[in-house]
Amino acid sequence: MSKSIIPSRRLLTTFSQSLRNENSRSIDTQCCRLTTLRTQAQQSCQSISGRPFSTTTIRPYKTVQEQRSRYRSGPFSWKAGLLFLTSGAGLIYYFRSEKARMERKRIAEATKGVGRPKVGGPFTLTDQTGKPFTDQDMRGKYSLVYFGFSHCPDICPEELDKMAQMIDLVSTSPTRTASTPSLLPIFITCDPARDTPAVLDAYLSEFHPALIGLTGTWEQIKDICKKYRVYFSTPSGVKKGEDYLVDHSIYFYLMDPEGDFVEAIGRQHSPQQAATIILGHVNDWKK
Amino acid sequence: MGLFGSAPATLPPPKISSDGAPIAPDRTQRAKCWEGRDAYFSCLDKNNIIDSITEKDKAEKFCSGEGRKFEANCASSWVTYFKKRRVMEHQKNETLEKLRAEGAKQVPGEMAPPGSFGQRP
Repeated sequence: MSKSIIPSRRLLTTFSQSLRNENSRSIDTQCCRLTTLRTQAQQSCQSISGRPFSTTTIRPYKTVQEQRSRYRSGPFSWKAGLLFLTSGAGLIYYFRSEKARMERKRIAEATKGVGRPKVGGPFTLTDQTGKPFTDQDMRGKYSLVYFGFSHCPDICPEELDKMAQMIDLVSTSPTRTASTPSLLPIFITCDPARDTPAVLDAYLSEFHPALIGLTGTWEQIKDICKKYRVYFSTPSGVKKGEDYLVDHSIYFYLMDPEGDFVEAIGRQHSPQQAATIILGHVNDWKK
Repeated sequence: MGLFGSAPATLPPPKISSDGAPIAPDRTQRAKCWEGRDAYFSCLDKNNIIDSITEKDKAEKFCSGEGRKFEANCASSWVTYFKKRRVMEHQKNETLEKLRAEGAKQVPGEMAPPGSFGQRP
């Protein structure tokens, strides 16, 4: 019992050394107080207090100042602080990015249909060079699908300019790696009577060279609009040279490499925001 | 309109593509049309005309010059569309003002970006 209460000689030596300048006497008083409690230890205590301070004792600190500063700051140092901040920041970054990834995954999963896809599906159309284009040509790449018509007064050209910016932002993004799927921009006309392949070719070349323009018969267009849940109001029997407008939905549809719908991008998104959304999904793709 | 045959208020015939269909107005033609539209609408603004279709006589009286330029640079379906959209936007802004006056607060979030369609002052 008594041994556990009395501090070891060496500890006392070190302690008293640190306080040598100010209150070296206090050790004696403390010691004496201890001795009153345990008379058994009186002998040893007296021997400590009476012993001259040795200069050869092992000292963990070179100077008194160093030890004092160590004493004041306790276990905290700039190294510990830095480690704390970097690991904290790292964890915050990790959880944020993981949260964003899970959110994107949730969106992508929620829109994925069971069995038959809810949006999208098989189709056969004609591209602006006159070659057939089917949903199989979209496989292996993310595609950004937009519905419109070339005689559109103001919304489609604005949206297509935005689309061109998105394509460039996505394709030049520094986050891309060799395995990142590429983005296929597709424009599908809602006005097949006027938008022949050659008309689409002339129209789309003004916006972006990568754009693929698709057209077909009125029935084919009606079918794909139904599959993509696009509202359109093109009359079926139009006379040549007739001047009319087509009402249609204005969304960009992001489709994944397996042909599943991922997310819709609307007019409220700036090209930068849209590119961020697209890149988020594209970079998530692992297969 | 004039007695001495002023410039016809029609669009020049469109270019024909290689497969025989008329090509839609290109970027410069669109810009020209929008310029004509903006000039016409600023004239309507000056004369306090909102609906140039129902107030046709008034619009014709004050803005006939601008109107003819507008029609000369845009397809007629576009002219009607822009005129109708002007009315629609006016109504929309009025409703928004009314709601704001009643103390409605705009919910922060996803609306059309400023300066785009639907946000024109």
